[in-house]
Amino acid sequence: MTNETTTTPTAESLEHAAGEPDIEKRQFALLGWLANSGIIVFTIVLVLVAALLIDGFATLANITDVFNRAAPIGIVAVGMTFVVVSGNYLDLSVVPQVATAAVVLIAVSNNTNIVVAILAAILVALVYGLANGVAVGVFKANAVIVTLSTTFIGLGVLRWLTGGSIYFGPPDGPIQAFGQAKLGPFPLSMLLLIVITVVLAVVLSRSTFGFAVRAYGSNREATRLAGVSTAGVVIGAFVITALAAMVGGFALGAFSNTAVSAMSTGYEFEALAAIIVGGTSVFGGRGSVMRTLLGVVFVSVLTNIMVLSGLGFGVQQMAIGALIVVAVSVDALARKAGAV
Amino acid sequence: MSQPEGLVLAEERQGTLNRARTLLARRTEGRAIALLTVVVIGALILEPVVFTSWEVTLGRIALIGLVALGLTAVILMGELDLSVASILAVAGVVMASFDNIAVGVLAALAAGLVIGAVNAFFVVQVGINSFIATLGMLFFLRGAAFVISGEEPVRISNIDFGVAFSQPWLGPLTPRIVLFILAFVALQVFLTRVRVGREFYAVGGNREAARDAGIPVKRRVYTGFMISGFVSALAGVINTLELTAADPTAGSTVLLSSFAAAIVGGVLLNGGRGSVLGTLLGATSLGILQVALTLSGVQVDVQNIIIGGVLLLAVTTDPTNLKVVAGSAREFVQGRFAAPRERDGSTS
Repeated sequence: MTNETTTTPTAESLEHAAGEPDIEKRQFALLGWLANSGIIVFTIVLVLVAALLIDGFATLANITDVFNRAAPIGIVAVGMTFVVVSGNYLDLSVVPQVATAAVVLIAVSNNTNIVVAILAAILVALVYGLANGVAVGVFKANAVIVTLSTTFIGLGVLRWLTGGSIYFGPPDGPIQAFGQAKLGPFPLSMLLLIVITVVLAVVLSRSTFGFAVRAYGSNREATRLAGVSTAGVVIGAFVITALAAMVGGFALGAFSNTAVSAMSTGYEFEALAAIIVGGTSVFGGRGSVMRTLLGVVFVSVLTNIMVLSGLGFGVQQMAIGALIVVAVSVDALARKAGAV
Repeated sequence: MSQPEGLVLAEERQGTLNRARTLLARRTEGRAIALLTVVVIGALILEPVVFTSWEVTLGRIALIGLVALGLTAVILMGELDLSVASILAVAGVVMASFDNIAVGVLAALAAGLVIGAVNAFFVVQVGINSFIATLGMLFFLRGAAFVISGEEPVRISNIDFGVAFSQPWLGPLTPRIVLFILAFVALQVFLTRVRVGREFYAVGGNREAARDAGIPVKRRVYTGFMISGFVSALAGVINTLELTAADPTAGSTVLLSSFAAAIVGGVLLNGGRGSVLGTLLGATSLGILQVALTLSGVQVDVQNIIIGGVLLLAVTTDPTNLKVVAGSAREFVQGRFAAPRERDGSTS
C-alpha cells in the first residue's frame, strides 16, 4: 500500500535515474524514439519484409489494390487526427458518416445530378460535425459516449431510409470515371489523399486554428484562460473530421461505384490505429497529419500482408486491436518516463 | 466603489445556485425516474401488453441491466469499459466450445475475470486511458471470438439444458431474471455496505485524496474491471444458454443500451457519483421502451435511433456538465455585457 501513496511518475523516474543512470537513460531514449520516430523505421521494415517474403506483395496489381483500400481509410484518418489531437479520443461516428456520404453521392446523383448530391453530402457532414462538436465542446460531454450514440443514430437512420439495399451508380457516369481514374499505379483517390493530407497538415501545424487545437489538447484550462473559444476548437475539429469522412466516403463509393449502409464497418478502428501508430498521442496535444499518413501506410500494408497470407477476418481484427493497445502503451510509458 | 456591492450580490446568487446544485447533485436518479415515468405512461396508453407479458419485459430488462450493473462499478471509479460487448461474445463461444456445460460455464466466467484483469492492467500499470485501452480490447476480443468460433455460430453441447434454462422457473421469472436480481442485490450490498465497495466512490470522486487516505486505488480499479468482466461474461453465458448457440457477433447492441441504462441512471462518467438503484431504474425504463417499441412493430433500426437519442440526451444533460455549461454561458454574457472580472476557473 505504501508504494501507492506517494510518488508521481516524474518523481519516480528521477529517483530511478539517480540509482541506475545508464539503463534508465537508454530506456528513456528508446521509449522516446519509439513514440516519436519508430513508425518510420517500422513501416520501411514491414514493406521490405513483405516484398521479400510474401508472394504476390510486390506486384503492380497488389500495390494498386493496397492504395485503393488505403485511400478512403487514410482520408478519414487524417481528418480524425484533429479530434485526437484536441484531446477528445476519437470520433466513432465516422462509420455512418462514410457510408452515408457514399449512399448520398450515388443515390442522390442517380435521381438528380452529382452537384446536388455533393451539396447534400456536405450538408449531412455538417450536421454530424456540428452535432458531435456541440455535444462535446459546448455541453462538455464525453466524446466516446457522444459519438457512440451518434453512430447508432446515424446507422439507424441510414438503414431505415435505405432498407439496407445496395445502390449502383450508372456504368459510365462521372462517379465511375473518378473511381477508376489512375496515374500509373496511383488511383486518383490516393492523390486526393495526399492533397488532403498536405492541406490538413498545413492547417494543423501552421494555422491559428491548428495551434489552438494543439494547445487545447495539451492544456484545456490554460487555452480557455488564454481567451480561445474552446467550443469553437472542438466544433472545428469535429467538422473537419466529418468533411474528411465525407470525402473518404466519396472515394470508397466511387471506387466500387456502389454504396450500402454496411460498407464502412471497422473504419473507426482502422483510422484510430493509423493515427496512434503514426505517433499522435491519444492524450492530446501532440501529433501530426503527416504521421497519420505513415500510420495509414503501415496499417494498410499490415492488413494486406494478412490477407495475402490467408489469415481470417478474426485474426485481422485481433491484430488491429492489439496494435492499438501496444501503440498506446508505448506512448503512455514514454510519457510516464518523461521521454516525450 | 461599487465593487463591494457587486461582491455581495455575487455571493447571494452563488448561495442560491449552490443550494440548487447540491440538490441536483444528490438526486442522481432524477433523470431515470423521469424517463421511467414517460415510458411507463406511454406504454400503458399505447401498448399495455408490456405489463401483462412480464416474462418478456423482465427478460429484456435483465438483458440490458446485467451488463449495465458491471459497467456501473467501473464508471463509479471514473473509468469506462467499452469491451463489455466483446467479453459477452467471447464468453459465449468459450462456453460453447466445451463439451461439459458446467466446465464451459466456469471457463467462460474465468475468461471474464481474466479479461477484466487485463483491462485493469493496461489502465493501472501501463497508464492508458481506459476509453482507449478497452476500445482496443473491444476490437481484439471481437476478433478472438471469431477465431475461437471459426467465424460461425457454435451450438452448445447440451441443448435440452439450454431450452430448460430459458423457461420460467419461479412464477414468471426465468433463471436470467433471477440471476439479474441476485447480481443487483449483491452489487447494491457491495457498493453501499461493504468497505471495499464504498471505497469505489472515493476512488472515483478524488483519486489523489483516496490514495492519501490509504485506499489501495490500484487494487480497487482491478476489482472494478474484474466485476465488469465477470458480469459481462455471465450475460454472455446466459445469452448462449437461452439461444442454445454462441454467436461471435453477439453484443453490439447491448453496448449501446447498457451504457444508456447506466448513464440515464445517473452514474457520472467522471466517477464518484451514481447508484446501482439508478442503473436498475435506467435499465427498467429502457427495457420497457424496447419491448413496447418491438410490440408496436417498430423496426430495430428505428429502436437504435431512439435509444441512441436517449443516450445522447442523457450524456449531454448530466447535472455536472450542465453546471459547466451554465458557467461558460454566464461568463460569455459577462464578457459581452459587463466589465471583465476575474474568472473562477472551475471546470471539469
